[in-house]
Amino acid sequence: MSGNAIPSTRAKADKAAFGIALFLAALSALIFWDASRLQAVASYSRVGPATIPTVIAACLLGLAVWTAVAARAGDFPRRERQEIGPVAWVVGGLVLQMLCLKTLGFSIATGLLFAMTAAAFGKRKLHVTIPLGILLCLAIWLLFAGLLQLSLPAGPLEHLLRR
Amino acid sequence: MSTFDFLLQGLLVAMQPMNLIYALIGVTLGTAVGVLPGIGPALTVALLLPVTYRLDPGGSLIMFAGIYYGGMYGGSTTSILLNTPGESSSIVTALEGNKMARAGRGGPALATAAIGSFVAGLIATIGLAFIAPAIVKLALVFGPREYFALMVLAFVTVSSAFGDSTLRGLTSLFLGFALAIIGIDQLTGQTRMSFGVPDLLDGVEVTTLAVAMFAIGETLYIAAQGEQGPDKVEAVRGSVWMTGQDWARSWKPWLRGTVIGFPIGAMPAGGAEIGTFLSYATEKRLTKHPEEFGHGAIEGVAGPEAANNASAAGTLVPLLTLGLPTTATAAIMLAGFQQYGLQPGPLLFATNPQLVWGLIASLLIANFMLLVLNLPLVGLWVKLLTIPRPWLYAGILTFATLGTIGANPSVFELGMLLAFGLMGYLMRVFGYPIAPVVVGLILGPLAEQQLRRALAISQGDPSVLFTSPIAAVLLAIAALALIVPAVLRARGKGQVLSQLAASED
Amino acid sequence: MKHFLMTTFLSAALALPAFAADYTIIAPANPGGGWDQTARSMQQVMQQAGISGNVQVQNVPGAGGTIGLAQFSSQGQGNPNTLLVGGYVMVGAILTNHSPVTLRDVEPIARLTGEYEAIVVPASSPIQTMADLVAELKKNPGAVSWGGGSAGGTDHIMAGLIAKAAGVDPKAINYIAFSGGGEALAAILGAQVTAGISGYGEFESQIKSGTLRLLAVSSAERLPGVDAPTLKEAGLDIAVQNWRMVAAAPGLSAEQKAAVSADVEKLAKSPQWAEVLKTKGWQDTYLAGEAFKEQLDKDIAATETILKDIGLVQ
Repeated sequence: MSGNAIPSTRAKADKAAFGIALFLAALSALIFWDASRLQAVASYSRVGPATIPTVIAACLLGLAVWTAVAARAGDFPRRERQEIGPVAWVVGGLVLQMLCLKTLGFSIATGLLFAMTAAAFGKRKLHVTIPLGILLCLAIWLLFAGLLQLSLPAGPLEHLLRR
Repeated sequence: MSTFDFLLQGLLVAMQPMNLIYALIGVTLGTAVGVLPGIGPALTVALLLPVTYRLDPGGSLIMFAGIYYGGMYGGSTTSILLNTPGESSSIVTALEGNKMARAGRGGPALATAAIGSFVAGLIATIGLAFIAPAIVKLALVFGPREYFALMVLAFVTVSSAFGDSTLRGLTSLFLGFALAIIGIDQLTGQTRMSFGVPDLLDGVEVTTLAVAMFAIGETLYIAAQGEQGPDKVEAVRGSVWMTGQDWARSWKPWLRGTVIGFPIGAMPAGGAEIGTFLSYATEKRLTKHPEEFGHGAIEGVAGPEAANNASAAGTLVPLLTLGLPTTATAAIMLAGFQQYGLQPGPLLFATNPQLVWGLIASLLIANFMLLVLNLPLVGLWVKLLTIPRPWLYAGILTFATLGTIGANPSVFELGMLLAFGLMGYLMRVFGYPIAPVVVGLILGPLAEQQLRRALAISQGDPSVLFTSPIAAVLLAIAALALIVPAVLRARGKGQVLSQLAASED
Repeated sequence: MKHFLMTTFLSAALALPAFAADYTIIAPANPGGGWDQTARSMQQVMQQAGISGNVQVQNVPGAGGTIGLAQFSSQGQGNPNTLLVGGYVMVGAILTNHSPVTLRDVEPIARLTGEYEAIVVPASSPIQTMADLVAELKKNPGAVSWGGGSAGGTDHIMAGLIAKAAGVDPKAINYIAFSGGGEALAAILGAQVTAGISGYGEFESQIKSGTLRLLAVSSAERLPGVDAPTLKEAGLDIAVQNWRMVAAAPGLSAEQKAAVSADVEKLAKSPQWAEVLKTKGWQDTYLAGEAFKEQLDKDIAATETILKDIGLVQ
């Protein structure tokens, strides 16, 4: 995934990379805390339920320090400009699907996701893409839930077809 | 009757026209469901088993074999074309396969996967027929300490998927380990990193993580490039089919993948993924084109795909010879066998030869049908890549969530999909490799459990980890794999040697 | 080809006559396990015996069934068309996971099947009888490693009960939890552990072929066709049954409850179910209504005690 990343030539402290170091340190602290409350249930192994998490947390702490050093030296690859708009469309679609799945059923929820993802890539005509997505997902629902017995949540549309 | 007579008889039954049709239906259905990301062969077989109840025993057995192999194979197509692994054992396929597809070489990638699966399935099924008793003896020698050594070896090989930075590769791997802690500790029943959330008790599902990181993370990343992103993918560059060079570069990885995958599949705690990791690392070390790895090397598809399918046949070894269901899929197959009045176990080959050989013959036929079904479709599949980006990525997300919903229709699971998708996106932005996270999640718990079991059995004496001959050999190989390239790099002489060293990180 | 396929399925789908009640059965485990098989067998029998025309099985895996249980009790509330498969393992899992939802939050309908635990050693082991094993355990509890299923599950509870009955501190047992029956069985066959505990069915074919030696079974009386003493005969006062049950959603009216109970009884008394029990080797331990609830309460209390003794529950 990182194959075409180009290392930065400017040796300048990288704020975002410091953020990563901070995140790793926080994760490490969380694991330390969680491991500390585990009780050593009678076992003949000296390696108990808390041992491995503690080791992992220690290594993460080490990686956090290493990341911070690399960030200071500006060793992180140069990042391309990220456009937030399309990302928001896709994330919005996923959130919407998550919220609607149980009430509106598979087809409508996933149809919305379909339309919003298409919108992220430039197809913004939602009045066309939403019905298209719902129809497509209804066909998928018929195939997988109807014929292949997969249990996919049913909503009003699906119930209409079942009756 | 001798072994051969039974096999021939089984083949004759399986090759009746009606049974061939059943095999084709089984393979088609298995592929159709198995292709869904998140729905592995276990659920595929469980869902489709009732379909076979309506047929006579012969037909149902053969359709069942088709479903099994179809379900095992289904995941590789989506891995290659959509960068969306259908199940955990086709994650490695996505690494090189999708890069090939992006470069207009999707056809050869799909073809080498299909033919490699066929070759591996053929050899492994024959292996199942003739050397199963020997393989199973080897599998039983593996106790916790041997498994632990095997995991250590697998960890060492992970470094081959680290990308260009050791720091970021290691960070990815440890993120995977951190995720692996979540859930109930299997050996003591205590909950770790779950914070009282019941949905976290069972830990993070490997396929959820893989689908989120690969499919959703990638979609977000491409979307974020906006209009200046890469132009439409060139679906076919050069031939759709494998060229002579592709064949020359594929056949050895197929065979090596089979040799690696079959015994590991036969091990009760082996698992198909580990075979694919080892195969990928092996091919990366042995290739004459190390510079292509990470950018679409055909060996990196051929080997792991062969290993994946060989281990599918390997799983049947303990099942048929010992009655040991070592995977969820095998446990469902066991239930499937019972409908034929077949009780898998040590006496099966002796008491029920017709059915056993019928099954093996069915597997051979199903394997062949898989090739018949998939090769002609290669041309059609690569056309998928010419779909305009809005529809392609909308389709990928529909498909990715469909699999997750089908496996477990829970809002929480979808939330995890989104969270890990965002994580995958951010990791791409900052140049972190994705594969080590997934690998850490798969291998981490296995290694931890086996280590703790080994130490508990020895009552805390760590020397047991090195005193078994098999464990010692595996650990020695792992040590060599770490040390030798480092030493060679330090000396830096000879072109081949520096190539070896270059492939190390 | 495609047409053939479509017509096969469509005709099969349309051929089903309409019935009053559709059911969704929740199997709180992954496909392949005992609960999943129970749920799928119920699906098959309910359709074949004409109890219901459309039965779906849904897997909600995780945490010894407690995730499925929690989801069932909250989402199924008042829905007479959903059923939950569960079993004894759930009792232990609820305690060890501190599950906020317990079996009291659903409506247990009936116990359907049961399985007895078997204690085995590899054929090469010097241990010949249960008495030998108990002697070893008394000599050095740590040196006797027990291989079985997940921590806090039936197998683990059995090991604790054996230690307790033999006068050994249950905390001192060296229990090695394996994921899934296959892995545990492989470790026992490979003599990686001293003894193995699991359902008799898991071991049956190995015992018959002579690769495992059966020391005792956990039933109250000897099992027909099984040549081994009960634990009681071996001097350990233990009888454990790993049962599987079916429960309905909470909040049903009395009529709805009666209707579900009637359907489940019809299922359990049908010849098709008897056939399933035979092919799967499950014992019929059908017990319904108040009698089942009483037994359930007893099991829960006993399980809590032993889990505390083992140290898994504080």
